[in-house]
Amino acid sequence: MRLLKKLHKWVGLLTGIQVTLWLVSGLVISLLDPAKVSGRHWASATVTKPQAQHAPELIEPAELPAAYLEEATALDLGSRQGRPVYRISYANGEVLLDATDGSVITTGEAGATELARRDFTGDGAIVSVKRGMAPDLETRNHHGAYWRVNFSDKASTAIYISAATGDILERRNAFWRVRDFFWMLHIMDYSGRENFNNALIIGVALITLWLGISGFLLLFGSFTRHDFFFLKLPGKTGHAVITLHDPASAAQRTVRLRKGSNLFLSLATHDIGLPSICGGGGECGKCRVKFESTGVPEANKIETGLIPGRLREQGYRLACQQTVVNDVALHLPGGTLANNQ
Amino acid sequence: MLKPAVITRNLHKWLGLLVGFQVLLWLASGLYMVVLDIDFIHGDPLVKNMPPLVTVLKKPGVTMADLAERYPNASRMGLRSVMGKTFYTVTDAGNRYLFAADTGSLVSPLNENTARDIAEYHYAGDARVSRISLITSNPPMEIQTRALPLWRIDFDDRYATSFYIDPHDGALVTRRHRYWRIFDFMWMLHIMDYENRQDAHNPLLITAQISGLLFAISGMWLLIYSFSSSRRAKTRDTR
Repeated sequence: MRLLKKLHKWVGLLTGIQVTLWLVSGLVISLLDPAKVSGRHWASATVTKPQAQHAPELIEPAELPAAYLEEATALDLGSRQGRPVYRISYANGEVLLDATDGSVITTGEAGATELARRDFTGDGAIVSVKRGMAPDLETRNHHGAYWRVNFSDKASTAIYISAATGDILERRNAFWRVRDFFWMLHIMDYSGRENFNNALIIGVALITLWLGISGFLLLFGSFTRHDFFFLKLPGKTGHAVITLHDPASAAQRTVRLRKGSNLFLSLATHDIGLPSICGGGGECGKCRVKFESTGVPEANKIETGLIPGRLREQGYRLACQQTVVNDVALHLPGGTLANNQ
Repeated sequence: MLKPAVITRNLHKWLGLLVGFQVLLWLASGLYMVVLDIDFIHGDPLVKNMPPLVTVLKKPGVTMADLAERYPNASRMGLRSVMGKTFYTVTDAGNRYLFAADTGSLVSPLNENTARDIAEYHYAGDARVSRISLITSNPPMEIQTRALPLWRIDFDDRYATSFYIDPHDGALVTRRHRYWRIFDFMWMLHIMDYENRQDAHNPLLITAQISGLLFAISGMWLLIYSFSSSRRAKTRDTR
């Protein structure tokens, strides 16, 4: 148990900040509305239109320029602004060809602006349009040239339109940016914010698992039946009368404490605060009390480590390591009773 | 009044009882997810001939114009490659069709043998097919978001690999294996959505996160008391 406690403390010191960051970032991610994060909250509904009306003017796939057909993984007939188009997919991107003459269709600044304007239903106007190249932080799952259309809404929405296909690649906004920052903290990938299989997080997670395991095992030693007295479990009940002496004031006091409870805590709940730094953790050794010679209990390992042998023989024990068993008389450090009255 | 150290220690202890086990589950499930390479989890090493490349035939047995005439209300039409051969796909009012490009004949829905051939064409392992079934309703959780029907082809390998083939376009829709399934289970534990394993915004999770956060902060706070305790305990001993 002492070893576990030591392990728990040191691993806690090592990883406590990251554990807190995991919890904070997890909480923020959970609290953010996913519809706002993805931007679909402000996206207009899209409709798929039938293509067959263009049948008479269609050219066949074999009539398209051969260079565009090499390496193609799929070819689909669709429409763009009322005109039939072939969309050709590759492992790393797509291209649109006019389905009546095979010419390449790209989306320019004006087209991208129009597509973004039609998509965004939020409260804001277009403030700027910029061209860029994916992948970057906000378009990291895409390839190729894009148009970034910036809006003046409160969430600073940016709609990314593919310069090749006119597709909406991403809708980014303040919600997404906040989420992405905390996602970065959560997965500990500070550059790409994408790779959660990185060595840093694996190392920290491996160490932190010991914090969890040791903490979980410590849980079993931290509770006694008495902690659950409110459940009224069958078994030993009743109170013991503890007589308290304080040499400084020559005062004497008796308290009735529940049998089976922790002596340090029970005294504390009766406003008798023994000196302590660690708060009853068996670490500082300050909550010493002297048991009357007739009722000195066995000293445990923690007490052996923290109380010199001479004092132990005189009946000194640590209140935080003792359980209330029988009626007993205790000598408290001078001034304890007076200070707490 | 209880001393702050006493309050903090007891808060940490009781919060530990309340969420300690969940925190342990978060750590364990998180560790599983970061340790196993995500490409492996996605089953990338289990497949070959991906992505399939489409060869456009000069003189196909059917043309886009034909199909557009036959299905005037089609919402989608296209070309796909299945086992190296080219096919035309049509989606019309929810019905989907697959035509062989060379003969122009309708081949969908694909039968069991074809589904098995496609699965073996893309399977990079050397195990045999152990079971084939057509899933038309009540899909297993691992394909809960996918459109049905789907052929499920199970391989007798140590990963318990399953391939899902779409009978209407011959595509390898997805692949699953034991470590994916464990990953999915871990994800469920991580986001505490035990029903659909998708919603990371549920009240149970948020409650646990807030308790967990208090748990962590009280623990960090205790470190201050603990370490100043052990320093004083030491100086006293050497005196």
